[in-house]
Amino acid sequence: MNTRSLPFRLVAWYSLWLGIVFAITSSLVYFGLRHYLERNLAAAQTQRARRIAALASRVDATNDHRLTEEIATRFAPEASARFIRIVRPDGTIIYQSGAPHDLGFDPTEVSPHASKPGVRRERLPSGPELVLATVAAGPANAPQMLIETGESLAPALNELRRLLALLALSFVVVAGVALAGGYLLVRRALRSVEEITRSAERITSSNLSERLPVTSTGDELERLSTGLNHMITRLDEAFQYSRRFVADASHELRTPLTVVKGELEEIAQHERLTEDIRERLGSVLEEVERLARIVEGLFALSRLDAGEAQREYVRFDLATLAANTVAQMNLLAEDKGISLQCAESAEVNVEGDRARLKQIVVNLLDNSIKYTPEGGTITLRVSAQAGEALLEVTDTGIGIPAEALPHVFERFFRVDKARSREFGGAGLGLSIVKSICTAHGGRVDLESAPGRGSRVRVYFPLADETEDQRS
Amino acid sequence: MRVLLIEDEKKVADFVARGLRAERFAVDVASDGVTGWEMVSGTEYDLVVLDLMLPGINGTEILRRLRRRGGNPAVLVLTARDSTNDKVENFEAGADDYLTKPFAFAELLVRVKALLRRPPPTRSHVLRVADLELDRLTQQVRRAGKRIELTPKEYSLLEYLAAHAGRVLSRTMIIEHVWDESFEGLTNIVDVYVRHLRSKVDEAHPCKLIRTVRGVGYCMTDEETA
Repeated sequence: MNTRSLPFRLVAWYSLWLGIVFAITSSLVYFGLRHYLERNLAAAQTQRARRIAALASRVDATNDHRLTEEIATRFAPEASARFIRIVRPDGTIIYQSGAPHDLGFDPTEVSPHASKPGVRRERLPSGPELVLATVAAGPANAPQMLIETGESLAPALNELRRLLALLALSFVVVAGVALAGGYLLVRRALRSVEEITRSAERITSSNLSERLPVTSTGDELERLSTGLNHMITRLDEAFQYSRRFVADASHELRTPLTVVKGELEEIAQHERLTEDIRERLGSVLEEVERLARIVEGLFALSRLDAGEAQREYVRFDLATLAANTVAQMNLLAEDKGISLQCAESAEVNVEGDRARLKQIVVNLLDNSIKYTPEGGTITLRVSAQAGEALLEVTDTGIGIPAEALPHVFERFFRVDKARSREFGGAGLGLSIVKSICTAHGGRVDLESAPGRGSRVRVYFPLADETEDQRS
Repeated sequence: MRVLLIEDEKKVADFVARGLRAERFAVDVASDGVTGWEMVSGTEYDLVVLDLMLPGINGTEILRRLRRRGGNPAVLVLTARDSTNDKVENFEAGADDYLTKPFAFAELLVRVKALLRRPPPTRSHVLRVADLELDRLTQQVRRAGKRIELTPKEYSLLEYLAAHAGRVLSRTMIIEHVWDESFEGLTNIVDVYVRHLRSKVDEAHPCKLIRTVRGVGYCMTDEETA
């Protein structure tokens, strides 16, 4: 279970508070009741002692036997598990009740010295605790008899223990119900949050026209999803604006480029030019050419982004395409003293725009050739893996430092500005690769060890084998 | 041959007209859609070079009207737009070819000539430039009577250069013709192949046939460089 999830934390917190409140209430009930029971018991003893004192003053004080009988019949201390003792002023015992029938305590263990009138508690050596009340009886001006009554606390304590057990049991039940109920409740409340999360995770720069589901419940979640949708709309607008800008800008640059290129080319072919001017014109024309390539690249990217990727949609063998491209580019590698190989592979059928996918292979190989020094090796491998077509280009080139890796697919990103400019690249090759991949439902990743080489992997969905005869 | 150029960008119109006149075409220029339409409906042209974004009547509309009226000049559409939909729309409207800005004039010229069905200098199956001979049927190449072994790509490149001897061909044109559009932007492949070709064709001979025009492209010629 995810202990950081909102339902878990909510339920944990409120269960903790519920537990604390329950514990406080239970202890208040327990200790209050205990106090009440003890006070009641003490009051009952005092009252009984006074009644015995009244009885003793009515019965002839000298007739011990009579008094004993009266007490035995009226109070039946043994049957009701009570303790009664009457002591003369000189300390001799007139009466002491016998062992109670339930054998809850042993009366002989009660301390012999009758103290002053009052209430006390006494724990007998054998365990039970008694509440004892002592009352003086007889004429106030003469030495008085002391009457003691007592009762075991055990029955009251037993009641309290049962109450405690009951409280503990109800705590378990209440806590269980609260946990389960609370968890369900929170989960129910958060289900729409989960839906919003899932939808939000689906939305990327390529499907910004999608929106999150809005539940019209009028609660905070509705406001959240509406707010997020507004944000996506603004993002969508910003993306569209930037795409339109790139498309418009590259479009507007074409006409002036045409003029510059056309005029310069005409001049460059003029016969009466000095070698120096011819050189300089050539250099300018090379830059114009590069500018034109950048404009072309940007325009191609803006079209890919706008979803105008596929001019055709056919089924073809990626392995054959790769092998042919390698054959066409082999001379480029040979020229640099690099070995360019295409691993043998079975047929791997994919669907898409053949020219675009070929451009991926061309761009990747071109990159590898540029950044692999003499004597290096470049290997292209096509295979089918886990329901996907995999195109893999491995080289033994200079590699890419780790901090640059996340940016290599960005437009105009250059790992080493001086070095790549010398190759005359537009800085758009890998961005175009990525955009073509995305447009074909594929993805691309790159790993590299500086100084040892790089590996680019491009994944595409395989062509649906059941639709063999299509296209 | 009469050519009408309908293009509102004056500078583009200037260098295209100048270039075509240098090739001995009779060139008329219209700088907006209305004038263009008037001219094309009043005169018989062999070819119309038509820009799409025009003030007045746009290029696609002119194309439609022209074809509806039954006009049959060849039409080369010239535009800065090259999205697929545009292309399809204009071919449907009756365009014969399509060229995207920025273009090299040499490329425009090659297309114009193809549209006017002007036969290339040599139509026979043997192409000759100075003492270089290409047999288009057997794909055999000889220089001063000696066989030269070429790979198929090298042969295609040499044939393209030889077939347009005396004309400068840009790298982009060479790529589109000898390779395919996937190699666009990969112009260094042309340089590498040309270098290999030179080592086979030119190295042993004092007269170099393959000439580099810096910044523009390559040219096959037996004339001495100026």
